[in-house]
Amino acid sequence: MVLRRDDWLDLARKVDWTPRYVEERELFPEEISGRPWLTHDAWRDWNEVYRTTYREYVANQREKDSAVLGVRAALSKPRLFDDLDPGWVQLVKFHNGAVALAEYAGAVAELRMARFGRDSAWRTMATLGALDEIRHTQIPLLIGHDLLAHDGNFDWTHKAFHTNEWVILAARHLFDDMFLAADAIDLAIQLNFVFETGFTNLQFMAMAAMADRAHHHLFEKMVASIQTDEARHAQIGHPVLRTLLENGSRERAQYLIHKMWWRCWRLFLALSGTAMEYLAPVSARTRSFKEFMTEWVTEQFMKNLAEFDLEKPWFWDLFTEELDYAHHSFQLGLYTYRTTLWFDVAMPDRAEREWLNAKYPRWEETYGALWDQLERRWEAGGEAGTLSYGLPALCNLCQLPALFIRPGRNTACTLEMGGRRYLFCSEPCRWIFEREKSRFADHKSVVDRIVAGEAPGKLTDLHTWMGLQAPVETGKDLRRGLDPWRLDPVPKR
Amino acid sequence: MRVYLFGFASDDFLGRVIVTPDERTVEQLAGQLVAWGLAPERGGSITVRNEVGDILDPAATIAQAGLGNGDIFKVERR
Repeated sequence: MVLRRDDWLDLARKVDWTPRYVEERELFPEEISGRPWLTHDAWRDWNEVYRTTYREYVANQREKDSAVLGVRAALSKPRLFDDLDPGWVQLVKFHNGAVALAEYAGAVAELRMARFGRDSAWRTMATLGALDEIRHTQIPLLIGHDLLAHDGNFDWTHKAFHTNEWVILAARHLFDDMFLAADAIDLAIQLNFVFETGFTNLQFMAMAAMADRAHHHLFEKMVASIQTDEARHAQIGHPVLRTLLENGSRERAQYLIHKMWWRCWRLFLALSGTAMEYLAPVSARTRSFKEFMTEWVTEQFMKNLAEFDLEKPWFWDLFTEELDYAHHSFQLGLYTYRTTLWFDVAMPDRAEREWLNAKYPRWEETYGALWDQLERRWEAGGEAGTLSYGLPALCNLCQLPALFIRPGRNTACTLEMGGRRYLFCSEPCRWIFEREKSRFADHKSVVDRIVAGEAPGKLTDLHTWMGLQAPVETGKDLRRGLDPWRLDPVPKR
Repeated sequence: MRVYLFGFASDDFLGRVIVTPDERTVEQLAGQLVAWGLAPERGGSITVRNEVGDILDPAATIAQAGLGNGDIFKVERR
């Protein structure tokens, strides 16, 4: 007689056994399984909400892959880009470079939990999670490969994570901290609970909604399909967190959540905030980045905190203040240092400025004059006048330029330690660094390396060091010069 | 001695690295930072502060003002 699914699933997902030849502590060493080290009794009730069998998993994934590949097949390759907005193409390039191989690193993280997670059900979920992440690597690589014929820089879908490009170094610094250099417990909290439950909706579902309106249905299908996987394996975080809280580790859990919230915010404002509001065409923007963050990320995060009776981070006021400004400041950094990027960057045109000011009532007042100044410089001296040539100050934690929150509202701070002075873009970055000094102290930012003579100071050599073949691969002004609207007189101030 | 500092001008959008001999004056340091920014030609008075907010004497050398490797200075432009 063939058993029905529900008759065997509970048994199959809970195949923990009592080791006879080694101690439990040897089988699951604290260094990689995580702290606090608890006997299996404490993990026995680990339960995922949505249970999946391997058979169901394979059937579902096959269906999802067929849907994505079906759209790919329906669009003839040579015409993939014909109707796409040029800014949107750059957004896809930015997204692919920053995300594709991060997903592969995510597979390594899931595999660590598949071996060192403390309960069989957790390990089973993580095994499926690893298969998910491999899929999330392969699909963008496939699509990126298709796009090579249109634009050679799509090879950054694969190449980016193997370079010293500064945005990628910042992303890798975060992902190393979040999961590659984390034990099973820490990564379940940081990756599954904070990053995947909290933030990936923004990158995948919000981007899918925009892709639909930008008529890029293959990208829409890809990111929406990826998010359905994320939503499933993200549930690993909740039962791990619950076990920590039930076993006296509230403070540690709270710290990991607050730390990773801040670090994820930093990356998302740089990646999603700028892409959504400076590369996506106005017609594709359903909501502002701030609106997405508030509705999709912040509210979900608050519900998660309430569910576990956890406190709001101490830096919450700073975070909410930054929502109105930080990604706009970052865009100026991207634009003026665009030759150090693998994608092109936009100066907002008139319609975009109107849209930005409607969504952020202080945008024009805060940023208008700076963009006008760039306009004037272009008019007076050509494109060269719109580039930054000096080195930007980089944060020793997030590795991003210290440009927060906005002009005239500078949150940078320093820390003296071991004969070295470290720079931080903000108090939360310094707080995280101070809490885990030995973890972060030896790392050198790109600027530290240049100052120490370990990386070239000359821009053309720096391009090569970053893996950028100038001028072919280096980022440019999206519109390659003056738009008709720019020929209007620039407002005099 | 050559030092590297992190300068933030109030009308600029990011911090910039300034490498300079510390025998130069605070005023010259501020001028160097402003020159890297988007509006170097704009005149007006400036005030230079250290990280904790103390006003630095424009005529003092960088070393005399207590600035060393990795320190922050802020330039307020009016």
